[in-house]
Amino acid sequence: MISIRRVSKFYGDFQVLADCSTEVKKGEVVVICGPSGSGKSTLIKCVNGLEPFQSGEIVVDDVSVGGPKTDLPKLRSRVGMVFQHFELFPHMTIAENLIIAQTRVLGRRPNEAMDKGLKLLERVGLTAHAEKYPGELSGGQQQRVAIARALSMNPICMLFDERTSALDPEMINEVLEVMVKLAQEGMTMMVVTHEMEFARKVARRVVFMDEGRIVEDARTEEFFGAPRSERAQQFLSKILHH
Amino acid sequence: MYDFDWSSIPGALPFLWEGMKISLEITLVAVIVGILWGTLLALMRLSGISPLAYFAAGYVNLFRSIPLVMVLLWFFLIVPQFMQAVLGLAPTADTRLVSAMMGFALFESAYYAEIIRAGIQSVPKGQVAAAYALGMTYGQAMRLVVLPQAFRNMLPLLLTQAIILFQDTSLVYVSALADFFGAAYKVGDRDGRLVELLLFAGAVYFVLCYGASYAVKRLQRRVSA
Repeated sequence: MISIRRVSKFYGDFQVLADCSTEVKKGEVVVICGPSGSGKSTLIKCVNGLEPFQSGEIVVDDVSVGGPKTDLPKLRSRVGMVFQHFELFPHMTIAENLIIAQTRVLGRRPNEAMDKGLKLLERVGLTAHAEKYPGELSGGQQQRVAIARALSMNPICMLFDERTSALDPEMINEVLEVMVKLAQEGMTMMVVTHEMEFARKVARRVVFMDEGRIVEDARTEEFFGAPRSERAQQFLSKILHH
Repeated sequence: MYDFDWSSIPGALPFLWEGMKISLEITLVAVIVGILWGTLLALMRLSGISPLAYFAAGYVNLFRSIPLVMVLLWFFLIVPQFMQAVLGLAPTADTRLVSAMMGFALFESAYYAEIIRAGIQSVPKGQVAAAYALGMTYGQAMRLVVLPQAFRNMLPLLLTQAIILFQDTSLVYVSALADFFGAAYKVGDRDGRLVELLLFAGAVYFVLCYGASYAVKRLQRRVSA
């Protein structure tokens, strides 16, 4: 579904991604972790072309992301993304947030889009908030709306740039619950997170990044059981005993 | 001691009202055109496409570096010739109002462009990324996500600029166009009561503009609340 081959990216002379390769198969959940500044967010933003890269190739559902003839808006409409700061549109109600891309990008009729939006809102447990503005919701609620908004496009896969550390523990649980369910239903997911519980529970593989490189790409049990690299061991001991 | 005599004002009120209508018309046209053209200029300047960005930057810097009176004079001299040539108007046709509107609109666009550019830049980059991630095009992201937020943030500034613009319309006196200030001047000149009429005109400008500024301040408090 998502295949990343030898991707490198530079900001001027500074290399943010170095020769990154990994693969996410249909229905697979892959967690990407690593210290801050390791390039995790940048890597998943390359997957839907939000960040350009200078060499290598990323192919999503047989479409080359960096290809000269690629219709990026069309590709992006099929790849769901949830941002670190949620990025709900603050001038629209929750319902409008859920409808706008369905009608404007996919051309769905307003009542059809509304039905879909409300169903998803119910699914993330926020039906009562449809007419509120994002600023009136808690961080965890906003993040669930952001997930619903991405799902409203019927994506073939989901990218999560998730820094749940911005949320308090109770909220982390309500968000993770939604994500675990999504994973169990077979959604293909690439998740940047520090939530190792989530990784343990649903991830098929864990990709560990450091300084723009993929240092370790292992099955979840192997990664937690016996990480090969020293950097991953240090990272794990720090984050698990935190 | 100067003997004030206000008696010529009541009879002149209809004429002064006609002048006020011209002032308000020029303001309205210049604000609407200024915001539309200013938005386009701001988008060009932020587009990252060099020729467009240079054009917009040049336009803005040019108009911001020239006194408004001169721009107005140019337009009073150029627009009539232009309209005669293009529309076949008689040389005697009065195009002063159109000239004034065009002059103000093009001049104010430069100021509006800068306000709007700052407004667009005040919208977090993540909002654009979120719009793109949902499959929106650049145009959709601007129209549906960025500009509505930008205009909301900068509404007080846009209105304040409109108030300044309203005051500046008095500069059309260079073409002897009877806007509110021009009308007051004419009445005062006719009756030999220039001091009274100018004091009256000043009071009217003050009440209108101070009232409008106060309203903008209240609006600002509501928007930022």
